[in-house]
Formats: sequence, C-alpha cells, structure tokens
Amino acid sequence: MKCVAMRRALLLLLVPMLGWSQSLQDTLKRGEQVFSQSCATGYCHGVKGGPSGAPRLAGRGFNQTYIANVVVSGVAGTGMRSFATVLSRPDLTAVVAYVATLNGVANPKIGSDDDEAAAASGPKLTGEAARGGQLFKEAVRGFGRCSTCHEVGGLGISVASGIAQVPASAAALKALATPNVKTGTMNGESMPVLVLSDGKQGTLFYDLTSAPPVQRNAEPGTVKFSDGSNWRHSSVIGAYSDSELTAILAYLRAVIKSQ
Amino acid sequence: MRFWLILFTVSSAVLAQEAGATHADWPHYGGTQFSWRYSALDQINTSNVKALTPAWLFQTGDYAENLQTTPIVEAGVMYLITARARVFALDAATGREIWNYRYPEPGRNVPGFVGNRGLAIGDGKVFFGTKDNYMVALDQKTGRLLWEVSVDDVQQCGCNITAAPLVAKDKVIVGGSGGDGAHRGYLTAFSTKTGRLAWRWYVIPGPGEKGNETWKGDSWRFGGGAPWLTGSYDPGLNMVYWGTGNAAADFYDADRVPAGADKSKDINLYTASVVALDADTGKLRWYHQEIHDDVWDWDSAYEVLLMDREIRGRIRQTLVHMNKSGLTSVLDRATGELLKVFSVPEVQTWISGITEDGKLVGRVEPQLGKTTTVCPTAAGAKSWNSMAYSPRTGFLYVPVNELCEDITPNNAAPDEGQNYMNGAFPIHLAPGRTTYSHVDAWDPVTGKLAWKVPYKYVLLASMLATAGDLVFTGNPEGEFYALDAKNGNKLWSYQTGAGHRGASVSYAVNGRQFIATSTGWHSSVVGALAQSLFPDQDWRLGSTLVVFALPGGSQ
Repeated sequence: MKCVAMRRALLLLLVPMLGWSQSLQDTLKRGEQVFSQSCATGYCHGVKGGPSGAPRLAGRGFNQTYIANVVVSGVAGTGMRSFATVLSRPDLTAVVAYVATLNGVANPKIGSDDDEAAAASGPKLTGEAARGGQLFKEAVRGFGRCSTCHEVGGLGISVASGIAQVPASAAALKALATPNVKTGTMNGESMPVLVLSDGKQGTLFYDLTSAPPVQRNAEPGTVKFSDGSNWRHSSVIGAYSDSELTAILAYLRAVIKSQ
Repeated sequence: MRFWLILFTVSSAVLAQEAGATHADWPHYGGTQFSWRYSALDQINTSNVKALTPAWLFQTGDYAENLQTTPIVEAGVMYLITARARVFALDAATGREIWNYRYPEPGRNVPGFVGNRGLAIGDGKVFFGTKDNYMVALDQKTGRLLWEVSVDDVQQCGCNITAAPLVAKDKVIVGGSGGDGAHRGYLTAFSTKTGRLAWRWYVIPGPGEKGNETWKGDSWRFGGGAPWLTGSYDPGLNMVYWGTGNAAADFYDADRVPAGADKSKDINLYTASVVALDADTGKLRWYHQEIHDDVWDWDSAYEVLLMDREIRGRIRQTLVHMNKSGLTSVLDRATGELLKVFSVPEVQTWISGITEDGKLVGRVEPQLGKTTTVCPTAAGAKSWNSMAYSPRTGFLYVPVNELCEDITPNNAAPDEGQNYMNGAFPIHLAPGRTTYSHVDAWDPVTGKLAWKVPYKYVLLASMLATAGDLVFTGNPEGEFYALDAKNGNKLWSYQTGAGHRGASVSYAVNGRQFIATSTGWHSSVVGALAQSLFPDQDWRLGSTLVVFALPGGSQ
C-alpha cells in the first residue's frame, strides 16, 4: 500500500498543473537523452519512439497523464517495468515530457523546482551509512552478503523477518541470538531451519544448512522440530570485517529510522 | 556411406551417436544432454509425412506472452511451462491435464521480459527458473512444490531466468539473463535433492583469478557475459558445456578493454566464449573465446551440440557451437582445440573474414559519436532458437536471418542492474533482397552448405530433425512444416493459426510417434522487432501446443 501511495504522489508531481520554472527546451533535450539511454536501448523501444522490440510510442495519441502513469507504474505482464525508482525525478519528468511531444503535445507541462525538491524521497545517505548500504548488498560477495537473507528498502530477499532493532555494535551483531532458528529433522537428516508454517497442508521452512537458504515444502508430519540449533548469525557474516559491519549498522540505523 | 561405415566400426562413436538421439522420451531441452534436437523415431518419414494430422492441442490460457517452451516428455507424460511460469503435466497421448502449478506472478515493478523457454526433469522432480530469479523444484508426479531458492535479487541485478535448466547427475544447473545489463553473469548449480548450492561459476573472473587482467580497472564487476540459455553435458568426460553472453557495455568497449590490448587475443574473458566446466565442482576446464572484444552484442550464449565426427581421418569428440554473428566453431570437446570455423549468413559486413585459427579479419567497429552499419544484427544471424543435427545426414539444420543494423554507441556509465548496452541499433532489412531468411543444411566437418530453403520473412523457431529424414520448423505466418532432411524439399505443412517462436519435439506413446510444437508469435524483444520490419504483416500471438501424428491405424 505504501508503494502504491508513493507512486500516486509521484504521478501527481510528474504532471503538475502549476508554473514552469525550468526551460521546456532544456527539459525536452534532457528527455531525449534519457529516452535514448533508458528507453530506446536494448531490445526495447525504437529511436525517437519508433517500433522495435517494444511497441511504437510516437504518434499513438498518448496524453501526458497516461505516459506518466505507464512510466511510473509499468505495465503488468510485459517487459515495461516501473521506472519510479530507476530514474531520478527530473529525468522522469523530462522523459515523460519528451514522449508527450512524440504524441503531438506541443507544450508538455514540466515540474517546478519546488515540486522536484518535494519529491525527493528516501533518506540521503552519506559517508559511512552510504558505504554500509553498498556493503549490505555488494554483488561481489555472492551469497555472503546481508541481502541474501534480509530485505531493506526494497532490496534483498526477505528470508528473515524485517529488521526492527539495529544492534549497537559489530560485536553485538555477531553475538545476536537467533531463537527462531530451530533444528529440523527430515529423513534422518538434521538441519537448522526457520519455520514458516506447519499445518495440515504441509510444512514450509527455510533450510539454513548453507547459503542461500532453501525454502522447502515437506509433507505434513515429515519434519520434526526441536528448539535451538547449531546455526549462528556470526558465522554467516564472517566475510565482513568489523569496520564493514559497523558501516552496515550505520546504514541500517539511517534507513530504519527513516521508515 | 563412408560416414556410416566409420560409425559402425568405431564403437565409441556408435555410443556417442546413440547418446545424442532421443527415442520414445524427449527428456532434455535439447532432446538429450548432447543437444541435437534429433529423434531416432522414424514412423513418420518422408514417404508418409503428407498424411500427418493434428492429434490434440493444448491451450495454456497464459496469453501474457507466447509459448516458447520446449516440451519435455517422459514415460508418456508431457511437461510444459508458459511465459508466466505456469507448469502443466499432460497425458502425452491425449493432452489430458494431469496436474498444473502456477508460480506466483512477480509484481509489475520486477524488471525484465516475460517469457520462459523450458523446464527440466530429473530425480523425480520438475525444475524451472522464474522472472524474479528463483529456481523451483516440483514433485514430478503431483506438481507439489518441493523447494525453491533465490538465485539473485532481481531488483538489484536486473536479471531473470528465462532458460531451461540442465540436469547433470545430481545437480540442476541454470544460467540467467543480464548480459546487456550492468551485471556479472554466472552459472549456478543446485543439489536436485535439497536445492542447496553446489557451485557457482562466474563468467568474469574476480581479482586475483586468471582472466581478470583482461578487464580494465573494475569493469569486471558490471561486465555482463550472462549465460542466458541452456548448456550440454557429456557424462563420459563429466564436463558441462555452456555458451556465455556478450561483454557489457555491448557497443562501447573503451571502459572495459585494458589499454593497448591486442584485439586478436582474448579480451574480457570469459564473455562471448564456449566454456567447459567440471560438472561436480564448476571449475573451468577449458575455454574458447569466439569474439575477442565483442562490440556488436555477439553473444555466444547459444546451444552447444556434442557429436563425434571424423575430422582429417580420425574420429574426434567434437562440439559444434554458433555465435550470434553466425560464426560457427567446431572444437575438440575434451581440450577446446579449434578444429574448424565457418560463417553462415549470406550478408556479413562486420568482418571481412576469419582465419583458420579463428582470428577476425577487417573488424568494422562502432565508433563513439558515429553511426556504423553492420550485418547481421544483435537480433542474431540466428536467434536463441536452436538448430538441430541429424547423424543420418551429418548436417546441422539452421534458421538464418539476413538483417542489418545501424549502431550508434554511447558512453553512459554503468548503473548496477540497469541496461548497459550503450547504444541504439535500429534494425533493417538487408538491402537488395527479396527474402530475408533461410533454412540451411551445413556439414560442420567441411563447413560446406549442402542446401538452403529461402523464406521471405524471418525464421525464429527452433529446428527438429528425425530419423524419418525430416526436418520440422515453423514460420511467423503460422505455417508448421516438414522438409526432406537430405535436400530441403518441402513435404508437408499445416497452418497452426499463430506464429512460431518456440520449439518442436518428437516422442512416442504406446508405439505411436507424435510431433509437438509450441505456437504463438513473440510480442516483444526480437519477435516484435522482426514484426516491425514487415508492417503489412500481422503475425498472430498465442500460447497453444499443437501435436501431430499419423491418422490412427496408418502408422
């Protein structure tokens, strides 16, 4: 719901009804650049909105509101994703205005500086928190990164439940107790598990034996659980140094505080 | 005749030939793990194919995109997957549904294209990948979900799994997309039993690993190379073979090629390459880079055909592989030694030629700030749809397209998970022609064309070869047809009502041979791009499997 509300707000801002404080010409020029780099690329739209791997956009009679809606929300069941979090606000405004001109809108409305400032969303991360954000999801770490099991701010896989409290230090993070992790035994094999549901339909759980966690679905009554396990949070974050963990904690504090 | 004499006198070759053909089942994406797309069934043959008639059809109901899947058949049951990962088990003789499974549809903010090219079976399970990058295992008998595991965060990597996985022994191996994005491609193997990670092999070596020196600075982090299709497996050598994707940025190389690099040598390893990995560990055994410093989006991600052939008087364990440019390499699959290379498109302007040892001559490279026309195109001299191989004729059957493109590169900086092609490449018809594709029969040993059948539009469906000396494929106008494997004569055709951008297979149930084809034109990516070249055409979409057999009692 939050995401939908944000998109609606963004949509309204992309099609402002009030003043132009920015040169339309500059915006359209920027829009054309954005279009050529983000839209008329890959196997997607054609140059200047011509036909290509994705539908033609020029001369379709689209109005600016419709274009903004599609750019912000995407089109379900197609390759057209939402660009709401991909492009910056000014670039979104510019590309929507540019595509509008391809559809005969001679003077598309563009946002004011105030609108753009108001639309800046999410925390601006700097310094250690910004570094921590990179470390949290650093692709080069493969399955050894935090985002293998934690989702924060729309990135990562939500194996663990949302982070509600941020440990005070790297030492506290390493010492984190994980009472939710149990020991499951199935077909004679024991493994650390995180149970999602256990009922008549079956047992759904994460097998934490190795990273990445595997979500498994067992026949009812075929997995036996006991409290406690040999799984330790400290062992799965072992590839991070203390200073890296400190930066990640700074990132989490900044992000979770802002939510 | 000479070929057959050799075949029957060299036992290892006989074994390899048997391993490449399917029989009653169609157990793997490429038919067998040797990826020939060849059935040893010959009940339907050149003398009776004209009687071939629909036996049953199955409408998937998933019309978000076309049906691209290669159906898998085992013990009279067919397994299908649709664009949005809806999986069906059907009675392969009648089309009766046995079970179905619907993967939860990823949200509309999930990047990537909608489509799925196939699933895999093994260890009593059905395996498939998803748009949001999960590897999923179902119970083969019931369709019940057994396990699923996140291969990568789709929001971060911008990558998806559209390829069929490959089962090799106790592992299921899958590649992903992302070759055109700021992403570092990889193959990942999971235990079929538990879903636990077995190994991951990154196409691009990291710091300290051999090959990393072929990348400028830290460009290796976002260098693409994603192996986005399905590989092959030789149990005798215990190697899996895979083609890797192009380097990113696709059309602009100044940010990824080390200063002073020799473009006749390996650059940006192991992109645009065929690689052999140890099936147990994922360790690289050998590689062959087909395009050093690719600046044309020439993926090498396509299928890898394993076959034993006589070359210069000796039976060799070979591997045949086509790059997107149409360059076709024949390698020793034990060592990676290049034995032969040839090019299939008629219109080829991106190079003036290639030396016997695989060096590109007269490269026509896109330049920043300029527009450069080259042929063929990023849509492929052949697209991702597979070729087929018949051991009876010794020919590869290849659908080839004759198109050109105008590449204008840019030097935008990479943004993780976002498009990183760095160029526009509007595609157009090759000039001065009236036909823009052809089905070819090539002898990979000699590199000689045996015959070709021209077609006025494009051909984007996979090929099927059978021991009935038939070659099947379909065209965008909806015609599904059979050619004589020996000479290309068209022997039969049927209008299925929707374009062909999928695959066909052959199998048998209770002694009756069937030919099955997925149908439905592709409404995005290369399908839409090709359609735009022929604005007077309206190639029909759809998602239906159509199955043919000889009329009851006549087989």
